[in-house]
Amino acid sequence: MAAMSGSLLLTLIDKICVIVVAAYLITRTRRFSEVLAGKLTPKNQAAMILTFGAFSVFGTVSGVEISGVIANVRDLGPMIGGLVGGPLVGLGAGLIGGGYRYLLDGFTGLPCSIATVFAGVFGGIVYILNRQKFVGIRGAVVFSVFVESFHMLLVLLISEPYSEAVMVVRETGIPMIASNAIGMLIFAFMISNLIKERETEEERDEYFDELEKKKLELNIAREIQQSFLPEMVPPLKGFDLAAKSLPAKEVGGDFYDFIPISGDEIGLVIADVSGKSVPAALFMVLSRAMVKASATGNTSALKVAKRANDLISADAKSGMFVTLFYAILDQGARTLRYVNAGHNPPLVLDGETGDLTLLKTRGIAMGVMDDAEMEEKVIEIGEGDLVVFYTDGVTEAVDDEYHQFGTERLVETVKKNSHLPAVDLVEKITGEILAFSRGAPQFDDITLMVLKGEKGR
Amino acid sequence: MRLDDKSSGDVKIVLPAGRLDAASSEELKAKMEGMIGDGCQKMVANLDSVEYISSSGLRVMLASLKQLRKTGGDLKLACLKPYVRETFEIAGFTQLFEIYDEEEEAVEGFGKKG
Repeated sequence: MAAMSGSLLLTLIDKICVIVVAAYLITRTRRFSEVLAGKLTPKNQAAMILTFGAFSVFGTVSGVEISGVIANVRDLGPMIGGLVGGPLVGLGAGLIGGGYRYLLDGFTGLPCSIATVFAGVFGGIVYILNRQKFVGIRGAVVFSVFVESFHMLLVLLISEPYSEAVMVVRETGIPMIASNAIGMLIFAFMISNLIKERETEEERDEYFDELEKKKLELNIAREIQQSFLPEMVPPLKGFDLAAKSLPAKEVGGDFYDFIPISGDEIGLVIADVSGKSVPAALFMVLSRAMVKASATGNTSALKVAKRANDLISADAKSGMFVTLFYAILDQGARTLRYVNAGHNPPLVLDGETGDLTLLKTRGIAMGVMDDAEMEEKVIEIGEGDLVVFYTDGVTEAVDDEYHQFGTERLVETVKKNSHLPAVDLVEKITGEILAFSRGAPQFDDITLMVLKGEKGR
Repeated sequence: MRLDDKSSGDVKIVLPAGRLDAASSEELKAKMEGMIGDGCQKMVANLDSVEYISSSGLRVMLASLKQLRKTGGDLKLACLKPYVRETFEIAGFTQLFEIYDEEEEAVEGFGKKG
């Protein structure tokens, strides 16, 4: 008897090769993938019913007959159909497989066909209990053992005569359970691989989406920033003016602006918004508008700065701030009246003596507090004098070892090239910075404005 | 970035180290926001090991200061390296923050006010 079970088991294992191929082909179909992804459309369900029904029929046909009973993997198709596609798929496939079995002869026909229908329905119930997900390899194998045991119980309960039923169960019980469990193992293994593959794919897609979004955000921020910078420098009488801003990959919200005030007077702004990307760019637009609105027609640099600060502070949230230098250039009087709101002090190089002055005043970055204390100062700008306005992106530009370009290098470059026209000096300085950083990433916007005193009128 | 923290009584002390640039500031921001979220009212930032602070770093300090002062708390700074102090000075933040030479002084600064 034991030998007989053994050879039977071998024969059944022989069928496993066929199951492997079948499992591979079935799980790779588009419909199966869609069902796994939860798309239980009527068409997909019908396809699964037919597929697993046919697989169940194949299980019967490929079975091995012992004492009028066919030991087989008939239940496998409906079980998997149920576990993957729910009760309807399980039931449908079970009815096909079970119906086919019922048409065949044999005294266990009724229990065997009923068992197949139940196998599908049970699979569907497990699917629902598991929140409409595949139950996993271990769960599926345990489930198949349970279903086959139930199958044997049905044979014992229903088949007549009872003594023969006992013999059938004894002969085929273990091989049936084992072969179905092994078949299930193969399918479950492939299915869970498929699920993992899909998850990895989803993660990868999500990652690329995120990257794409980030890129888009960077571009948007850059476009916002660039579109709000003045396109050209206004013509001045007795002065030479130039400006340039090189945005970092992740823009930092630097800006400069020229605001006509009255006849001879023009407002000059250079500023650096804290933070990066879109929030910084938007805050830059806001700050720029506030300064412009405050400056138009107002001849007091201090009043402009205070007003702009109050407006910006009212809107600044979560620690946003902008360091800003505002100056009114009087071309007739050749003076610069300025307020420094927490910005890197511009450098003034005396054309005659070569002395260096820093344009500092009392003040604090805008947006930090209402009613901040500020102060206005004034300097004269003679022929050959040079004012260099800049943002911290200039002095804090780094090489690949994090050495900073620094104020000293900036001063040196300005002194050496003070004979150049403003626009060339701006190019020269940015060129020096880029040469210094030697391809190390630019972390912050680099913004420069140069004002040069020329011969008076 | 290394980012330690410790406590002295009910005063929490954060000790960032290295460069406080845009990337590491995010980390510090999360840390300080977490502490404030956990109910911390008295905070000291010991910047002894910070070599560089960008405007993003300043922003984290400012955001935490604003948040703490809203509920009667405070953020005090200690042990600023010359370069870091200069960055605070340029932005005008030295008139906003209480700055101490030693960490202990900053912690004691809370005691005086009760």
